[in-house]
Amino acid sequence: MTDILEVTDLHVAVEGTEILKGVDLTLQQGEVHALMGPNGSGKSTMSYAIAGHPHYEVTSGDILWNGESILGLDADERAKLGIFLAFQYPVAIPGVSFANFLRAAVSSVRGYKERARAEAGGGNKVIGSELMPMREFRQELLAKMDRFDVDRTFARRYLNDGFSGGEKKRGEVLQMAMLEPKIAILDESDSGLDIDALRIVSEGINKLVADGMGALLITHYQRILNYVKPDKVSVFYQGRIVKTGGPEIAHMLDERGYAWVEEELAQALA
Amino acid sequence: MTVQTQVFNTISGAAVQATSERFQEPEWLRLARAAAWENFEATPWPSYKEETWRRTRLTGFKLQQFPLAISEAAGSTRRQDLPAEYLSTLNQIDSAGALVFEDGRLIYAELNSEFRDKGVVFTDLRTALQTHDELVRAHFSALVPARENKFAALHYALWQNGTFLYVPKHVVVEKPFQVLVHLSAGKAAMHHTLALADENSEMTLVEDFTGAVDGMSDTVAEITPMAASRVHYLRLQNLDNTAWNFATMRTAAQRDSLYRQLQASWGSRLSKVWIDLEMEGPGSHGELLGLYFPQGRQHIDHHTNQNHKCERATSDLLFKGALNDRSRSVYQGIIRVWPGAQKTDAYQKNDNLILSAGARADSIPGLEIEADDVRCTHGATSAKVQDEYLFYLMARGLDRKTAKRMIVQGFFQEVLNRVPVPGVRTKLELEIARRVGLE
Repeated sequence: MTDILEVTDLHVAVEGTEILKGVDLTLQQGEVHALMGPNGSGKSTMSYAIAGHPHYEVTSGDILWNGESILGLDADERAKLGIFLAFQYPVAIPGVSFANFLRAAVSSVRGYKERARAEAGGGNKVIGSELMPMREFRQELLAKMDRFDVDRTFARRYLNDGFSGGEKKRGEVLQMAMLEPKIAILDESDSGLDIDALRIVSEGINKLVADGMGALLITHYQRILNYVKPDKVSVFYQGRIVKTGGPEIAHMLDERGYAWVEEELAQALA
Repeated sequence: MTVQTQVFNTISGAAVQATSERFQEPEWLRLARAAAWENFEATPWPSYKEETWRRTRLTGFKLQQFPLAISEAAGSTRRQDLPAEYLSTLNQIDSAGALVFEDGRLIYAELNSEFRDKGVVFTDLRTALQTHDELVRAHFSALVPARENKFAALHYALWQNGTFLYVPKHVVVEKPFQVLVHLSAGKAAMHHTLALADENSEMTLVEDFTGAVDGMSDTVAEITPMAASRVHYLRLQNLDNTAWNFATMRTAAQRDSLYRQLQASWGSRLSKVWIDLEMEGPGSHGELLGLYFPQGRQHIDHHTNQNHKCERATSDLLFKGALNDRSRSVYQGIIRVWPGAQKTDAYQKNDNLILSAGARADSIPGLEIEADDVRCTHGATSAKVQDEYLFYLMARGLDRKTAKRMIVQGFFQEVLNRVPVPGVRTKLELEIARRVGLE
């Protein structure tokens, strides 16, 4: 079965100010959809709203997962469905090691907790029984670190603590690889990366897309699209998608800038 | 007989004398007790006008309601006959020796014979008074005098027993010495800790305080790391949440010594803890670590002092606390650098994580510097668990509770990483996990 994420006429407000003004979008597994737009156009709001950030209030419209609304679900429940958000600015959490955190996250998303509870029959819990077995987890983590070109020292470091911009983005890709989402929203995963880091991050995305993941690639620049080939490109402007087409749109934007979109919009309105 | 028991049990001048009689104490100790009692009586009860008591009130504290915990003669329980809870605590640590006290009565003692043969003395203070009277006399009350504060005066007037540890010159004991101090309900107990690490020796002392349901604990600890020695002192206050707890501790670090102390303040309804680190010898290094995680209406107050009296000494303090419910913490700390204490490097940091809208943490760091070539840094933070942190972890599939637990555990990790005894670290981690789960 192919999972589908649909956003229909989505309006989102933050602290009473409407940021998204009716967004429609469909994304399915295996598909890459690039969402391009100038700063402040609401791209990040869109990603937070889909992931379930409590500060982003959906005032109308809907977000559907295989046809069913997920607006009532908390962020962790959406993650368990298979939705992943790669953060533009991942927060640093001192004292929590990357490996411990990821083991807890993977165990939760893969349902170890539910299984452990079912087996215990609501009785005594055994510490650690809600987690993926350490050996199995380690093997998979190391294999994926190698596959996605992430240094093995990441495992012992504190989550994003003291990470460079590039390391944070690679960390997000590694988390994505471990959590195996159906649909990932990549919020400016290309920003602040040098060419080598950009290549590594892009290759990571490509591998996961080849494995069947759908990707919503939110970006300001066309640059990452040289590495990750989108099926569709949409232009985001003032809280709406104003244009959708093939990869050629990205090239137009690159050559003519967002002013081009403004001109087109002005003409359409005239 | 009845009359005598009553006298023993009441906090009074008569009980002071009776204690001396009962243990047939030497003259110097009788005099010390009597003087301490006089001091206690002459010292007014704490007032909020004193800086150290400004944020901690003894409302509801009635000293006379606590009968004195009387120590009987030392017992001779075998390890396997100890109550299960003591055994499980003892088994958490691979130790070089262990003492178990119940209301000041030593009920169990063991010491690795290798170290006994090397001259290590690890016993209760009562026994040490018989076997090593000169050593005890030279150091008992040398660091913390009875006049230090009202609770220290009370302690010296009525103490019944305590820990005595001496490690001779050049003797290195890597495994910890472990002490369990259990207090039964409703009583006043005064455990004294006297630890001496002679030149170039090494010791680790772990003391665990439990019990004192509706009771009172009034302790004093005196630790002396002599020249070039290495001393770790880990104090785990696991008293019941209904206990009143007062503690006065002082360490005098001699030349080139290394000292590290951990204070974990888990229990008590109210704690007033003074921790004093005296940097007395050039080249010495001292560290003070602290953990607290009050809940309900617990009130935990730490008052620290990093006192740099000599040149080229370094000290480093890190106290971290998380607060639940309507609990309250007070941290007051000062770094004092005496005239001439050049090349001092001192650091002090107190971080608080507020987990509930009704909780409050007060943090008052301070510096008093009278030398010009020094480096002193201090800082204090107080923060809530940020929504952005929670969202990040939840977006990875962790439920809110697990996410919060992870953040709180991460917060304490900086201290846990520096706890020198693995068994103790595990124990602290479990206690933190238990408390995070309690919200």
